Amino acid sequence: MGLAAVLVVLIATTTPGYGQARVTLQVAIAADVNVVEVHRNFLGVAFSKNHPHVTVHAVGTGTGEAASRAIYTKLKAQADAGRRNWDIDVALVSMRYASQMVRENLLYRYVPELQFAPYVVGPDTVRAFGVDVKGYVVPMFKNQIAIAYNPRFVAQPPKTFAELEAWVRANPRRFGYNGIKGGVSGIGFVMAWVYYKTGRYELFTQGPFDKANDRIIRSAIEQLRDFNRNVVITSGNAGTLDALNRAEIWMGAVWVDQLVAWKNEGRMNPEITPVLIAPGLPIYPLYLTVPREAANRDWAVKYIDLVANPQIQAKVIVEQFGWYPGIDPNRVMPLVSPAARALLFKGVTPEDLARYSQQMPIGEYYDAILLAYEEIVR
Amino acid sequence: MRVPRARPVEQLLWWMAAVPATAVIVVGFGVPLLQSLAASFVRDGRITLANYELVYRLYGQDVVYTVLVAAAGLVLTFGAGIPLAGYLRLHAAPTVEFLLKIPLFVPFVVVGHAMRIFLAPRGTLLSVLHALGLISPDASLGFGQTWLGLAIALAWKHLALIVLLLMGAFRAVDESYLEAARGFGAGTIRQIWAVLVPMSASSLALAAVLALTSMLASFSIPLMMSRGSGPQMLMIDLYYRFGQHGDFGVASALGVVSYLLASGAAYYYLRTVSR
Repeated sequence: MGLAAVLVVLIATTTPGYGQARVTLQVAIAADVNVVEVHRNFLGVAFSKNHPHVTVHAVGTGTGEAASRAIYTKLKAQADAGRRNWDIDVALVSMRYASQMVRENLLYRYVPELQFAPYVVGPDTVRAFGVDVKGYVVPMFKNQIAIAYNPRFVAQPPKTFAELEAWVRANPRRFGYNGIKGGVSGIGFVMAWVYYKTGRYELFTQGPFDKANDRIIRSAIEQLRDFNRNVVITSGNAGTLDALNRAEIWMGAVWVDQLVAWKNEGRMNPEITPVLIAPGLPIYPLYLTVPREAANRDWAVKYIDLVANPQIQAKVIVEQFGWYPGIDPNRVMPLVSPAARALLFKGVTPEDLARYSQQMPIGEYYDAILLAYEEIVR
Repeated sequence: MRVPRARPVEQLLWWMAAVPATAVIVVGFGVPLLQSLAASFVRDGRITLANYELVYRLYGQDVVYTVLVAAAGLVLTFGAGIPLAGYLRLHAAPTVEFLLKIPLFVPFVVVGHAMRIFLAPRGTLLSVLHALGLISPDASLGFGQTWLGLAIALAWKHLALIVLLLMGAFRAVDESYLEAARGFGAGTIRQIWAVLVPMSASSLALAAVLALTSMLASFSIPLMMSRGSGPQMLMIDLYYRFGQHGDFGVASALGVVSYLLASGAAYYYLRTVSR
């Protein structure tokens, strides 16, 4: 036996995970840096502890819909080129692009293989943007758009959109949201406004799409244009929080998770409180998906099982980051510490969420509403 | 005196030396330009002017706004830049010269953020004015998020480059002209306006074209400073079209429009100055 052969045997028997090939799980995150950090520093580390030969490599692709588009473009290119073994194993993408990828057959139907599949519940795991997504998606967390107010200036926060309208008339330029170009909290507010003014929530979220409904969309958006005259349009999700902090505005449309996160980091006036108003505001999940030809598909499914584990959901998703659980909250909330629960549900109770959380409209209406806004409101 | 022609072999070598650089320009700039030009005439797989129709409908106002903001930024830049560069040509002031160069090294995004905070309705500027007792504590500044705030930020960022260019041009003006002007009793202002500016007209025009095209194409400053509504700079619209909607047709059409605006400035420069 030559020296080389001895060395090979030595190396093979002393490397960890002997007999198992090393795997690098490629996780692409179409979300903010804080979400990338969760995968890098918490979920990835935990996963590698259980599976020492697997390294989780999480990459952020940016923020907003453009980030999800980047992942979609990459997968589409690989599909069109007829490649096997795509280079993304787990993709965290927005509702809009997840539904598009299901429609274009770019995703793998993995949920039935999950240990925690029974906990994947809720209307947004069944349909998204009018597409049947059941089995393809697990929300990593849910994110609610709400109206945040400063109790120092607002004694009685509004309970409905009608009350909000009256308040804005009485307090011009004290309410802010970020329009449709500065992030999804503003887009969500606009969608909720159209639901409220038209009263056609089912139509917009279930379909069918009919161009004739442009008329009611446009009339709702024209009313929004008048509403906007007394409103401050901020420069983005963060811009709204900034303006609330500076008391430039006293109320604004915000993401609840961002509000909680900023409070946790001490960047936010702790008095600012979110409320949900009737008929409701959209909730927008980020979906964990597995591309159809992912190189490490089996490991990807195991990894998502870890994220969907109620313990992880309670400790990381809810306690650490202040998001709403992505899976059945009845399985998660009992595991959450009372302090974290109080912070999470300050102002927005689980009942509010059950009553006033809305879906985003189907794709065609979504685009029609944005186009009407661009043309009428500007 | 006739310059002797290079030998054919040498000529061939020169041609070969130029090939890589030319290829980079063709592949990195020419081809994408033609592609986006082509894409701007295609919508839903058909050749059409629909993209331009949508640009006109949604962003016509923004085209005008972009040109006006860039023009206002240009006026502010030169309004401050000419006196500054002239003064520095006539009097030594090393500290001022150093301070002027700072904006060169500040990234656009940082300028955008700094100006956003500085000009915010209750931002730094307001606090200073209030501390000096110049305005009441309840006041708020309205112009930070308007075209004026944007023009000020763009001007601040471009001032350093413009002053550098102008100082180079002004320093190339022979001292004897200035001495003659002083002999006739011309002060600093008179020397700048009557001697330095007219004698550096072509450099001024070049600097203006550079600044204008850069302002037309500005993205990060308007992104950091703008509000979510009202007219926007074209690059923001372009980004929004393909980022949010994946609409490459309209994004390309916007790109073509911006390209035409910038070429207009360059054409004017070539026609009037570099003959």
